[in-house]
Amino acid sequence: MVEFQFTEEQEMLRKAAREFAEQVVAPLVPKMEETDETPEEIIKGMGERDLLAVTIPPEYGGLGLGHVARVIVLEEVARVSVATAMMLQVFHLGIDPILVFGTEEQKKKYLPALARGERLATVAVTEATGGSEPTACQTEARLEGDHYVLNGRKVFITDVHLADVQVVFTRTGEKEFTTFILEKGMEGFRPGRYEHKVGMKGCDTGELILDNCVVPKENMLGKPGDGLKVALAGISETGREGIAGCALGLLQACLESSTKFANERILYGRPIAKLQGIQWKIAEMAVNLEAARLLTYRAAAMRDKGQRCDVEMAQAKYFVTEAAARAAKDTCDIHGGYGVMNEYAAQRYLRDAQVLIPSAGTSEIMRIVIARAALK
Amino acid sequence: MQILVLVKAVPDPERANEITLDPETGTVKREGIPLVINPLDRNAVEEALRLKEEKGGTVAALSMGPPAAEGPLREALALGVDRAVLLSDRAMAGADTLATARVLAAGARYLGDFDLILCGAESFDGGTAQVGPELAQFLGLPHASYVTSAREKGGLLEVEAKVEDGRKKLQVRLPALLTVSRELNRPRGLSFSGIVRARGKKVEVLSLADLGMDPSRAGVAGSPTIIGDISTPTTTRSGEIIKGDPEEVVDVLVKKLTEAGVV
Amino acid sequence: MTEGYRGVWVFVEQKKGEFLPVGLQLLGKGREIADRLGEKLSALVLGRDVKDKAKALIGYGADEVLVVDQPKLEDYQTDLYAHVVTELVQKERPSVFLLGATYNGRDLAPTVAGRLETGLSSDCTRLEIDEEGRLVQVVPAFRGMASILCPDRRPQMATIRPGVFRLPAPDESRTGTVREVQVDLETVENRAELVELYLQEPEGKPLEEAETVVAGGAGIGDLEGWKLIEDLAQVLGAAVGATRPPLDEGWAREDQMIGQSGKTVRPDLYIGIGISGETQHVVGIEDAKVVVAINNDPGAPIFKVADYGIVADYRKVVPVLIERFKKLKNTG
Repeated sequence: MVEFQFTEEQEMLRKAAREFAEQVVAPLVPKMEETDETPEEIIKGMGERDLLAVTIPPEYGGLGLGHVARVIVLEEVARVSVATAMMLQVFHLGIDPILVFGTEEQKKKYLPALARGERLATVAVTEATGGSEPTACQTEARLEGDHYVLNGRKVFITDVHLADVQVVFTRTGEKEFTTFILEKGMEGFRPGRYEHKVGMKGCDTGELILDNCVVPKENMLGKPGDGLKVALAGISETGREGIAGCALGLLQACLESSTKFANERILYGRPIAKLQGIQWKIAEMAVNLEAARLLTYRAAAMRDKGQRCDVEMAQAKYFVTEAAARAAKDTCDIHGGYGVMNEYAAQRYLRDAQVLIPSAGTSEIMRIVIARAALK
Repeated sequence: MQILVLVKAVPDPERANEITLDPETGTVKREGIPLVINPLDRNAVEEALRLKEEKGGTVAALSMGPPAAEGPLREALALGVDRAVLLSDRAMAGADTLATARVLAAGARYLGDFDLILCGAESFDGGTAQVGPELAQFLGLPHASYVTSAREKGGLLEVEAKVEDGRKKLQVRLPALLTVSRELNRPRGLSFSGIVRARGKKVEVLSLADLGMDPSRAGVAGSPTIIGDISTPTTTRSGEIIKGDPEEVVDVLVKKLTEAGVV
Repeated sequence: MTEGYRGVWVFVEQKKGEFLPVGLQLLGKGREIADRLGEKLSALVLGRDVKDKAKALIGYGADEVLVVDQPKLEDYQTDLYAHVVTELVQKERPSVFLLGATYNGRDLAPTVAGRLETGLSSDCTRLEIDEEGRLVQVVPAFRGMASILCPDRRPQMATIRPGVFRLPAPDESRTGTVREVQVDLETVENRAELVELYLQEPEGKPLEEAETVVAGGAGIGDLEGWKLIEDLAQVLGAAVGATRPPLDEGWAREDQMIGQSGKTVRPDLYIGIGISGETQHVVGIEDAKVVVAINNDPGAPIFKVADYGIVADYRKVVPVLIERFKKLKNTG
């Protein structure tokens, strides 16, 4: 049988996430929009309310709530601030490779502090050569005795200035790729410039510079040559799931702000919600939101059951981000002139939606993955 | 310290603008608006948990309400209370503050002896500030209202409470009831670990029969007050909307206000 | 249960021997009610050395002043006051009992109502007598007004916020009696004892007496925005008012709140900014001469109770207003 209801516990997790979003994040959104900086209170709040412990098992100090819970959290946070949800989703993404591929020692060393939010994690794969072709990676790791020396530059790395623990994808041979756990403070490890995106203002993004960075051998994740496996597993499941979760919250926000505005905006003596042209847009958003939820939560539930779900995640990520972008456009249209004014959130939704589309793989890449599975 | 905290389930204040009165039936229409813990009761829960952390003991949460009030009580469990009890019965419906206080008193007695009872000074939806003091009368306890700080010292509570243009300091004998103000503390947020820790804890539901209470003392039957007419306010003002860019609207407004002789 | 209960009582609270205005306001309203019922209006005064001052209450409409004058009653203390009031109500059996909704009044009223197991309504904005001679207690509730009745129990108790009813002009020629009543407090346990009272001088001119009021609501958004409200008030020589959310956010002080659970204002000009216009707030501005509303939400109910509405972002309009009034002040 198919179960289409969240458990009582999941509903309460949603409530807790909404409380965090509305009490802690919402008041800071204008400042994030204005300064494009990440407020400390947000990162602190995530730790205090255990938003970072969701996917970490109890034996490593986490809550082991799994991926459906993770999507609930991301949806609720994104409803208020996609930028914040994006940072959170990438913190989870940084934890994931250690969880899946880490040795017992690595897990014990890193996970408890990450679960408490005392330390933060991210992954660094993308380089200037493009994120969708990881094998073009130029960051090099050279074995020198009991340690590796890393050189290279990673770009568009979310949370790069915030994360203490970073899982970095490198080349260790002509066709051999390996990932390492790097830590802030290692010699030759330096977050570089800040990137300023069109949307998701306040979500930290930037480059990571590795200049003769010395990394002990025991910081390798998996074996030499496991790099692609580690990177792809993280991105194709956890990353796409996270982006879909972010887009769900954005869709929900679009629907809420559109219905509110349409009910309140009076033209020719009646609310514009009475106009069918407006109703069609609203109906479209409502249906897409429901479909988006089904796709995303099903994929997350598969993940929780340990089933392979890379294609389902690609489907969810593609559908939800595209639907969110259309919803954001419709939201701006429904708002008329106010849709392009900074005082209304509609314009922020539009800009944030656009940032979601290339994140964790463009819509084109998603369709390639989906088509490949369909054509098999 | 054995502490009882009263938790009222109220419609989410964030969505207060969706709440309306039905002029036909005279009832509050709040369909679809989720119930949450009354904001000031969150301060009461926080104080109870803080005292427990400091002095040891247990915290029980008590509420009277419809079955849906279980949700906010589950939240109280997730926040860290040890036990949550909902008094729910058709015959409790439609209670005014006095009948509410009477039923809560029966619930409190049923649960045992408490050193301290805490509740929000007023509820977000009713705002009468009556239930706390009335409950204290039914239980024969001393009380203090609108408390802004509380400290236990040698079996006495040193309490500060609000008055117009200032504060008063009181010494309250235990056991006692305090109704609390927002200034008392900053309530903790609902945390995921709290939700996980509360797994398996159930909200206990008690009926009038469980309390051994006569239905004529509860609900509408036990309420001295009734709600008569409901009306929507009529407006007598012109409601003229001034349009234009900021400079234009200010021109028009200042002209009108000058003509009216109010600036 | 209602038989044998006659007369209208008003609790007149005193602080340091001075009667609070709300008590006098209630005597004005109580007079109307008593006349309507054809019954006596009594003022109830508890305090220390208040006997001599009590006479003045007759001028405000009381037929009789009941005074309980004892050193222990100098300041309000729940157990002592509630004991005295409950005992007197049981003995004298008034039909209507009105109290000012000060912090002390909001503590005393439910304590007495609880002991008597009678009905009590809070923060009434209107009081009437219906055809059956019952007290109709009107309170704002969620964009409407609800009438509350207490059909079968007596007294019918209600609290009313300061400023809701106007202060009556005292009439020196009115006659009445002052009756001192003895209540034995020796055996009454004072379980919540007053240790100290810290009072501050209220800041500036009271909001309820201001000729111009500039008020802000949730729509102000942040402290920076609130500064604009204060700047506009300053240039207009106005008092600053607020709805509940700015209090919760900590931008405004509690004594700045306007509405059912705050103050009632009667300015010549009221400017409400970023205020949606819930009934609970609007009942506090009904007597303003001119109401101006600035809100970016065209559907906000405040526009329905405003003389002039501006649908705009206040951050754009208010700075222009400030500049304009500054200029006006300099040239005028």
